[in-house]
Amino acid sequence: MFEKLKKILQKVDADYSDIRYEQKKDCVITFNGKELTRIGSNSTDGFVVRILKNGGLSSVAFTKETDADTAIKSALENAVLIGKNIKKPIQLAKVPVVKETFFPEMNEDPRKITISEKLELVRKYNDIPLKNYKIVNTNIGYVDTIREKYFVTSEGSEIREDLITTRVGGLITSKEGNLIQNIRVSSGGSDGFYNVRNQEDNFANKTRLVLDLLKAKPVKAGVFNCILNPSLAGVFAHEAFGHFSEADIIETLPAMRQKMQIGSKLGSDVLNIIDDATMPNQLGFYKYDDEGVAVRSTQLMKNGILTGRLHSRRTAFEFDEPISGHCVAEDYRFAPIIRMGTIYIEGSTPTFDELLESLQDGLYIVDAKGGQTAGENFTFGAQYGYVVKDGKLAGMIRDINISGNLYQTMKDIIMVSNDLVLTKTGGCGKGQTNIRSCHGAPHILVNNVVMGGV
Amino acid sequence: MEKLLEMAKKVCDQAEVYSYEPATSSVLFENAKLHDIESSIHAGVSLRIIKDGKLGFAYTRNILNRNEILQNALDSLKGKVEAEYDFPLTTEISDLKTFDPSIEDLTTSRMVDELCRISEQFQSKTDAEISLDSYKHIEKIMIMNSQGTDINSKNGGFGFYLGLIFPGGASSISRSQSYFTFKKTPQNLVNEMIEFYNSSQKVIEPKSGKMKVLWMPKSMHTLTWRILSGTSAKSIYERISPIAEKIGKKIFDEKLTIHDAPLDDKYPWTRAFDDEGVNCHPLSIIENGVLKSFYYDLNFAKKLNTKSTGHGYRTSRWGGEAIGIKPNPNLTHLQIKPGNASFSELLKFMDKGMIIEGAMGAHSGNIPNGDYSVGVSPGFYVENGEIIGRVKDAMIAGNVYDTLKNVIAIEDTLHPSWSGRFPAILCDDVSVATKKYD
Repeated sequence: MFEKLKKILQKVDADYSDIRYEQKKDCVITFNGKELTRIGSNSTDGFVVRILKNGGLSSVAFTKETDADTAIKSALENAVLIGKNIKKPIQLAKVPVVKETFFPEMNEDPRKITISEKLELVRKYNDIPLKNYKIVNTNIGYVDTIREKYFVTSEGSEIREDLITTRVGGLITSKEGNLIQNIRVSSGGSDGFYNVRNQEDNFANKTRLVLDLLKAKPVKAGVFNCILNPSLAGVFAHEAFGHFSEADIIETLPAMRQKMQIGSKLGSDVLNIIDDATMPNQLGFYKYDDEGVAVRSTQLMKNGILTGRLHSRRTAFEFDEPISGHCVAEDYRFAPIIRMGTIYIEGSTPTFDELLESLQDGLYIVDAKGGQTAGENFTFGAQYGYVVKDGKLAGMIRDINISGNLYQTMKDIIMVSNDLVLTKTGGCGKGQTNIRSCHGAPHILVNNVVMGGV
Repeated sequence: MEKLLEMAKKVCDQAEVYSYEPATSSVLFENAKLHDIESSIHAGVSLRIIKDGKLGFAYTRNILNRNEILQNALDSLKGKVEAEYDFPLTTEISDLKTFDPSIEDLTTSRMVDELCRISEQFQSKTDAEISLDSYKHIEKIMIMNSQGTDINSKNGGFGFYLGLIFPGGASSISRSQSYFTFKKTPQNLVNEMIEFYNSSQKVIEPKSGKMKVLWMPKSMHTLTWRILSGTSAKSIYERISPIAEKIGKKIFDEKLTIHDAPLDDKYPWTRAFDDEGVNCHPLSIIENGVLKSFYYDLNFAKKLNTKSTGHGYRTSRWGGEAIGIKPNPNLTHLQIKPGNASFSELLKFMDKGMIIEGAMGAHSGNIPNGDYSVGVSPGFYVENGEIIGRVKDAMIAGNVYDTLKNVIAIEDTLHPSWSGRFPAILCDDVSVATKKYD
């Protein structure tokens, strides 16, 4: 395959070019309620070429090898067109030439598990909620996604790497009278099928919670001091803060770029945030990004001070900051963009109980249910929560959506506990979906959170 | 395709081959400067087979080996996914405009020039951070099945998105439009954006409480996603629709009429047939506030003992590729019937309240139940019928089945937005939460 890719690149008359070929294999099993609605394994493939010429960088994706010439011609024309229309020519930060084949270590390779074994496992999990008559529906599925990547650059790099992701989970829906409630359940990872085994307790626990939600009270609109659990605090680290650590986002937002300068004090003293996709056995793990750069652990915030940023080769040159290896594509349909790997708020010393004691009166909100940001403003949903009175958990609440301002919230995080948890499934959508987007945090105590209510 | 269909027919009761070939070029301007040009040329084939009432499904990019895709489909039969429906025999399809050949000649260079022109206007009249993009998209869809259906469609369109970002905040005013082929950006759209931007410079912090709210087309998905959920045959079958028993009943204000208009070829992306080869027709969902119909694909129509309404599409709310998604019920050409009020009249009717220019987090929360709780991004605050500034940290919340009972007035113009074309809608009594309380 490398020879074929090098042959295609040889036709490109440019200052730099790279090509990625991927075969993507996935196995999908889906239940809607009792019914199996989908099962099957499939394989698709395609190419992405990037061309730097005369100061312009452009990309093209194609699936038929016979389209290669047409595709390269249009990418060349577009690169030249960009070069002509911008004042500052695009340059790529220098990186070492790499020739390596890297296959991650697997604890049970999902490619070696039969589809019928996968089916029986999902069926068993799906049956757990369905035993209760108040559970009106489930959308429970299993997916494994395998990206077999071949990457070649005109500089001489040749990298072969596999990314193997498994996940099981979905949505459980309960209903009583006219009230419908749902909850998410999931497990998975980047290092084998074992990640989706032994999830019976997880499914049973979520079933109990979604039934409890039928009795929970809708949260009142207002401003509250809140403890966010690790899942929700991790969403804050990813959505509200993390995206503005991605150099391609703030690169073209001058006012935010001004504010997010390395060395600026933006958060409270207790806030430390890092992106470390080099940790093996975590969802976000990889060795080389889709520009052939080895990923590095990157400290983003230390004691509330901004210390680093996530880069592609292009933005590392533009910002004159170190390369970090965070330029990643969803698959062969896309050119890579800057993505977080494994971003998390680092743990501190207090326990969760000490956070409750410190909060006294407020809310404890649990597990993420979607989030979105627009610049400094963010909105997140939580799956459920509890009123906290005199430092103790009281009644259960539902319909929780919070909104806030990034800069204010970073100052309002006043306590961080010692119980870091990283997510096992992901799905960040920044034009492309990153199923290996991993985030985490310990519990955090935040003052003045705006609650939408219903 | 023919050969694959022939091979499949020999080993199963029914077969369908779906082929999808999209080609796209897009031009992106960030911070008022050309930032990127990307293109893609894709092809793919999806195979559905039915044998003994069970479904087999497989897809691939390159049919290098017909046996392999057929074998994948046969293997998936073993899962025993039920398929009680028959693929349709569709021989006649509506004669629609789907394509304007001049789109083929549109160059990325022309698209860059047009965005340059617009960018310069915005730069000279605002201090906004300017984000613009435009695209050219051409796609070919072909469907063949064992009943004898052999139909195809070539669709094309040009579109743009214009965004004015408030510096530092990154909340923005944006508008988009799409046409069958290249058109210059309408000057009134540019002027309107500049006026909105400049009149909302001041940041206002209104008090929490119930107020009049004007939903802009751009934030309408907050409401329409919940209606889409409630009226989908899938939700009816799964017993998660709160309006399953409400056909013929008044569920919204009588000013509200909502329909699906796949044949309306004033706009691009018309469809004569859905992704299962069923003929498309206009479908009335809500008429004068009364619930008229749910929407069906072949699968859920059969399960619910009715006919497909031609709404089986290979789309999902979270993206994914058409060939890899099984058809499921979806409304893709939704329109809300315009009312009588001009935009400035709506502001006068409003007197005091908030315009929801953008909504954040519409995809989270209890969608089946109709609940929403979204951040404004941004909102414009209105007093004495005029915009006096913009609102940042605020949330609006409610239930679509309550909110749309309180419609005061509807705008007289349709604007494109996610999954359809909508006018602005003014509603009363919507809960707004801010950091300010009485």
